Amino acid sequence: MSPGLLEGLLMLPALLLLALVFLWPLGAMAWLSGQASSVLTGLTALPNGGANWLRLLGDGRFWQDAGQTLRFALVSVVLELLLGLGLALLLQRPGRGRAWLRTLTLLPWALPTTVMALGWRWIYNDPFGPLNALLGLLGIGPYGFLSNPATSWLFTVLADVWKTTPFVALLLLAGLQSIPLELRESLELEGAGRWQRLRHLTLPLLLPYLSLALLFRLTQALGVFDLVQVLTGGGPAGSTESLALYAYLNAMRFLDFGYSATVVMGTFVLLLLAVSLALLLWRRSQPHRRPA
Amino acid sequence: MSGLRIQNLSRQLGNRLLLDGLELTVAPGECLALLGPSGCGKTTTLRLVAGLDQPSSGRILLGGEDITGQPAGQRQVAMVFQSYALYPHLSVADNLALGLRVRGVPAQEREQRIATVLELLQLGNLRSRRPAQLSGGQRQRVALARALLRQPRVMLLDEPMSNLDAQLREELRPELRRLLCGAEPPVLYVTHDQQEALGLADRIAVLKDGRLQQLGLPRQLYEDPANLFVASFLGRPAINLLPAEGGRLLGLRPEHLRPTAAEGLPARLQRREWWGHQQLLLLDTPRGELRLLLPSGSEPGDSFQLDWPRACELWFEARSGERLRGFGSENTRAL
Repeated sequence: MSPGLLEGLLMLPALLLLALVFLWPLGAMAWLSGQASSVLTGLTALPNGGANWLRLLGDGRFWQDAGQTLRFALVSVVLELLLGLGLALLLQRPGRGRAWLRTLTLLPWALPTTVMALGWRWIYNDPFGPLNALLGLLGIGPYGFLSNPATSWLFTVLADVWKTTPFVALLLLAGLQSIPLELRESLELEGAGRWQRLRHLTLPLLLPYLSLALLFRLTQALGVFDLVQVLTGGGPAGSTESLALYAYLNAMRFLDFGYSATVVMGTFVLLLLAVSLALLLWRRSQPHRRPA
Repeated sequence: MSGLRIQNLSRQLGNRLLLDGLELTVAPGECLALLGPSGCGKTTTLRLVAGLDQPSSGRILLGGEDITGQPAGQRQVAMVFQSYALYPHLSVADNLALGLRVRGVPAQEREQRIATVLELLQLGNLRSRRPAQLSGGQRQRVALARALLRQPRVMLLDEPMSNLDAQLREELRPELRRLLCGAEPPVLYVTHDQQEALGLADRIAVLKDGRLQQLGLPRQLYEDPANLFVASFLGRPAINLLPAEGGRLLGLRPEHLRPTAAEGLPARLQRREWWGHQQLLLLDTPRGELRLLLPSGSEPGDSFQLDWPRACELWFEARSGERLRGFGSENTRAL
């Protein structure tokens, strides 16, 4: 048996599994996105040409949700990267209680999203939540954190940042620890202060890790569902609705499975674009790495 | 006084004493090697002088100025790390430029100084390479160039050649001497390789368990060691130690032994290593196994008598390892 054939055979089970859980559903969705399949058709699939896709292109709610999802993803990911970097730098520093701090930091990441979203819904509660109680102490408020269509998305972002910053911090901490101590010491001996070391040494060497965190977080944030579903249900006035939530509503509330599949496929295309952009960034940062 | 002066320097970590009351001076233009086995405190000393670590007690003076409490960046010291610590994301030229940029040297002067040092070290054609694209010897030269660019008040080198193969080490030794030694800043050179220390340094400080064992000229250390540790640490093949009466040890260097026709210590050849220019004979004697170094041509036979010049005997007290001076020739027969 030739080595190539053996290799192929050994990979076959994994490839089959991947096809089963990834390609098959994707193919099914792609097929369904070209069908009329709703309560009106008695839930049977009837080919309707490109009608679903035409509807998608003209669907204001889809495009509004696309914009909102992108806004949510960009703002939360940027904040998470910045805060995560700060946190990682803090956790990297030697000192008493570092182990405790690390554990404490990871706590939000370890909580199930649904649980923590319920917690935040209570924190934001108008007028009885703790946040409004604090505002009350200052003599302002109460404020409808989740009931003002202009600002409620910001507070979904905040909750997401609280939950996923530890993940980013952990990833970047691993990156920081891969930087040899002598490099920092050498630059310190050259007279570089903390900021100069960060700018000239730490950040460039951390770039691959930053890009990786960006990639992970961007894909996750663009597919946000559970947090928004529990926190606001997409409201008020659809101002926090994400694409995933819209697809879910189409299928589960409007029972329009054909169009729901089209929304999913549309999201998939947008996601593909965003991820290829992030991947491109990541590839660019690769030559900076030292070969092992 | 100028130069580097280390006064009663100690470093304690937990209940371990990494360095115990070190006293040293390195004159301007002098190259002093810190020699010892791993864990002896030599790298600790270097890091304390650099300011990368803080002493538990003692002082460090540079050019008469107490720098003990100064932050590392202000001390104007240069250090060549064992791993070279080149910035992996920067080209050779940028590796050299970064320190100058950080200190605010104007671009034009920067370029000029880098060009000079690149030429001095024959690195000109490598200036746009990244560290990963350099050989070990080239990396070491870049690290050296970076240290020279610092225009340091003291030059620190931490086992700069331990990552290179033996042949390259030998080639680079004279170059290192040419570049470092004799220039104004004192050089503190850490190594565990005695060849390097003997061949490179003006003076050598031998350390063990954080304590200075002996400080002197290379020849002094070899010929007149202060104690058993220095005697056995220096010299390859290692010194022969013969147990003698009264808890004493007689130290005899392998090259000082010689076969004799007269009566001496009877020896029988056990094994022979041929080294080209020399040969090492392992001998069985009534006093234990001895190493004998001979020119490669000589053929002493399978059993013979051994003798040695009385002036070459080194006597030690076995238990403390202290050198017993003025104890010697007339007692040899007591063996």
